[in-house]
Amino acid sequence: MTVSAIKPKHEKEIEYLIKSYKDLYSKWLFELRCGFGLLMYGFGSKKILLEDFASTALTDYGVVVINGYLPSVNIKQVVITLAEVLSDQLKDKRKNSTGSKSRTQQPFRSQSIEDLLSFLNLQLPDDNDCFICVVIHDIDGPSLRDSESQQYLARIASCSLVRMVASVDHVNAPLLWDKKMVHTQFNWCWYHVPTFAPYKVEGSFFPLVLANCRNAQTTKTALVVLQSLTPNAQSVFKILAEYQLANEKEGMPINALYTKCRERFIVSNQVTLNSHLTEFKDHELVKVGRHADGQDCLHIPLPSEALGQLLQELG
Amino acid sequence: MSPSPISIPPSSPIADDTTDDNVLQPFFVLHKALPQKCQRKAAGSTRTRRKIDLPHSSPKSPEKSDAVASSVGPNDANHERLRLEAFNMTWSKIDTTIKEVLTRIHRNLFAEVHQWALESFLALKSGKPRHALEIQSPYPLLDNVICRQIPTAMILTKNAEFVDDMLTFQELGEHLKYKGCHIANLLSMDFCAKDGIAGCLRSLLRQLVVDAPDTADMSVLSSWYCEPENYDHPVIIVIDDMERCSGAILADFIRLLSEWVNKLPVIFIMGVATTDTAKKLLPSDALQHLQASKFTLGSPLERMNALVEAVLVKPSFGFNIGHNVAVFMRNYFLGHDGTVISFVRALKLACVKHFSMEPLSFLGIDVCDENEVFLHGKCDALPDTLLKYAFNLPSCKRGKDCKNSRDDLGEGLSDLRKLLKAWSSVILCLCEVGKNNKIQLLDIFCEATDPALSSLDPSNHKLERLFNGQNLAEGRLDFKGGLIGQLVHTVRELPLSSLIELLDLWSIHTEELYEVHGEVRELQSVVKSSNSGNNLKERQIDCHKMSMSLCAGRTSLSVNGKAAALLDNMVRKFLMPIECLCFHEIICFRNVDILQSALIGNPRRNIQVDLMKSTTYIKCSCCSSNENVLSPTMHDTSVMYNLAQEHGDLINLQDWYQSFKSTVLSTNKLKSPLQHSPMSKKVKSSPSESEASIQARFCRAVIELQIAGLIRMPSKRRPDFVQRVAFGL
Repeated sequence: MTVSAIKPKHEKEIEYLIKSYKDLYSKWLFELRCGFGLLMYGFGSKKILLEDFASTALTDYGVVVINGYLPSVNIKQVVITLAEVLSDQLKDKRKNSTGSKSRTQQPFRSQSIEDLLSFLNLQLPDDNDCFICVVIHDIDGPSLRDSESQQYLARIASCSLVRMVASVDHVNAPLLWDKKMVHTQFNWCWYHVPTFAPYKVEGSFFPLVLANCRNAQTTKTALVVLQSLTPNAQSVFKILAEYQLANEKEGMPINALYTKCRERFIVSNQVTLNSHLTEFKDHELVKVGRHADGQDCLHIPLPSEALGQLLQELG
Repeated sequence: MSPSPISIPPSSPIADDTTDDNVLQPFFVLHKALPQKCQRKAAGSTRTRRKIDLPHSSPKSPEKSDAVASSVGPNDANHERLRLEAFNMTWSKIDTTIKEVLTRIHRNLFAEVHQWALESFLALKSGKPRHALEIQSPYPLLDNVICRQIPTAMILTKNAEFVDDMLTFQELGEHLKYKGCHIANLLSMDFCAKDGIAGCLRSLLRQLVVDAPDTADMSVLSSWYCEPENYDHPVIIVIDDMERCSGAILADFIRLLSEWVNKLPVIFIMGVATTDTAKKLLPSDALQHLQASKFTLGSPLERMNALVEAVLVKPSFGFNIGHNVAVFMRNYFLGHDGTVISFVRALKLACVKHFSMEPLSFLGIDVCDENEVFLHGKCDALPDTLLKYAFNLPSCKRGKDCKNSRDDLGEGLSDLRKLLKAWSSVILCLCEVGKNNKIQLLDIFCEATDPALSSLDPSNHKLERLFNGQNLAEGRLDFKGGLIGQLVHTVRELPLSSLIELLDLWSIHTEELYEVHGEVRELQSVVKSSNSGNNLKERQIDCHKMSMSLCAGRTSLSVNGKAAALLDNMVRKFLMPIECLCFHEIICFRNVDILQSALIGNPRRNIQVDLMKSTTYIKCSCCSSNENVLSPTMHDTSVMYNLAQEHGDLINLQDWYQSFKSTVLSTNKLKSPLQHSPMSKKVKSSPSESEASIQARFCRAVIELQIAGLIRMPSKRRPDFVQRVAFGL
């Protein structure tokens, strides 16, 4: 029995509850057009609600969705995409209005984030109803919880050609923002919209409480630790991980690891390798077990899929 | 839930794969704007507001779904567009007024700072090299002076919250730019340790030099300054919130600029909370490069008074707030963070809510317009549904003399305008008295908007009670703590000189209120003649000074009495709270609950309430309506959170699981003989499966509570316990 296979309760009632918010769509749109951002809170996943709102009521505007519940989101990439969507929208507009000239500019991918933000903050003299929408699921999610991401999101939200629709799930979400962000940048209009819908995707990145705690080491935490280590230490870990993916059942003997590392000029002596291994053991990235033939071998306490994903992200 | 078929963007390949693939994408484009939108907008934007014809029948927009464009009636798309346009016009007027008011308040300070900047610039120039070649050389110039100082204006902000002063610094920058200075606004974010000194230099270059390279190079700045159009103007760097900058980076920045100050006449303007800020933040070697001068900004209450007078009291915007909203906003201002910016935001939100909820709000902008013909024309063009709606407004039902015709609506609205003007004149007069008495205008406004004050309301003669008529005639007032009563009393006690000033101001405010204006003028002449008479007598007979001043005192007493009686009369006749006027709903926002919930989201409380009382949202037949009884069919997370209430700050996972299991199972067993539900049979037939299922449900509920931030996962020290985080609502 897996968590995803649980038979849902009150499906109809929950669907009805979410549908009942449809009546508010016109008000939400009105407030967006007046320059406010929408912030949805209340118990239950608001993913379906927000995307339904965006795809029914916001068809006149380009919409970019950010999944804040994922372990990592690259804000710069988001801003580039926003600029591209906006640029397309403005091009369409120029085609329809006569006498305007299109400017040639360097591609967005090579522009700095400041330039991109100032592009999103263009003042259009004739039309104050031209903007793009950013829908953020879980603006208080794990990947966006740090202050730098929130600062950037606040700057995106304050751009004249961007409107933000976001959801929060954590009871302490408002603590993420200071007065400047709240009053001058996000400009939230709060809505209490409990849906009681299951947090299917949002919850999939949390360890299960009744499962063995030793398996609680997630890709995310491992990645964070590895990224803080030196490139050489990361390379040692990669060798170990590749070995484990190739030979699932048994761990890697320390001698074999040392030989591999020397071959690739990652370590020059056993002492250096041991210092890397101590670091791994301290952060529970590696466990030491005993092989059938009696020698110590190393094992990463992560399932193969997670390990594969980790290697990908590390690379 | 699938989106309605009409609204799905027709040929967008991106929108089709939004389901499974996208949930694991960090971000994705849901859809792009429909191309029709721009054409429609372009056609719409060419029409001016005055030319908008009100549609008698409202065609439904084909692009909109049913949810967005509701049926033909007060809320249809065309009227929504009108309301949006009306909002934009109204708010841009209010916004402009707010900016003007704030600029007016700071005008003197701005002029002072500008004067100081010019003087500092001249002082810097006296020691500046004359040859452009010298300036362009890519290194700083050294001279005999050991320590070069940068003139620095330390602007003391009297505010606990910095956010209020951001606009002031922005405006100061604009003012100085207008006067010909080069301005760069650096934020505290530019001085962060992560980017080092390059961060703030890049930001400086970006603001001053057009097409600046993305390198932090001072020589770029110095060659920019040598260009003829830039040369000979001071370069002013505004750092609005010094305290939030990284001290080390700011110190480096100051040291660097001080080396260049010979070539580049740099002047700092820094916002600080206290005079000690710079001393605390900067090391002494950086501090010695600053030549500080102090300036002080006005307090938020001063700004607030000016804003209330300009925005809330003067009825020229077509948008007002009711008593409850005014009281809420006052409390929000005083109790929340005391920033003007939060008050303005609350006002804007109230304005948005009004225009989004009130179908006839688009008439508001014309109610305050002098053009009667246009107002009547607009009323004539209203469709029948809206007309019917207008006459069904509660305030209209109360006034029984309407015949429900279009003319009546026009008449009603122009009456509303006249009454509002009178109301506003009286409040302005009261406010002038309040200024003498240091009473906050917002308090006066709140009391003046109280519908209970209305003498028209036969059930509550609070006003009558506030001033006992007989006592007033005898020159004594009966106070019961009301502000307006206090203000009338203040008038009685004013010294003659202040009374003369007050009457001058009253005469300005009542210019359009003819009945009162005459009386004010009359009173003015009486006061002035008595005043000049007194002065003459005082000059002539020195020895009788004592007795004469007594006599003067008596005269002023009677004049004061007259002024108080006049004010009382004005209040009785014209201070009719807006909520007592016919059709006030069209321009007055009163729904304080909606404003409060939109302004202050309370996730901490509401998410807990959601879980504790899930049955109020999930309206099913299976769960018990009694909130205190946990039913097995209830939402799992809700059951778990209710069970968690019985624990302290640590919850033993085993105990919690057992109680969860017994809730979902044992009650089932109890109920099963009666209900014979298929679910309970299944539970009995496969107990091992149900155990796994319950465990899975338990785990999911724990995750959901964790997502909501209500519990924290087990720590290494206590692997069997989760920690409760939120206590109480």
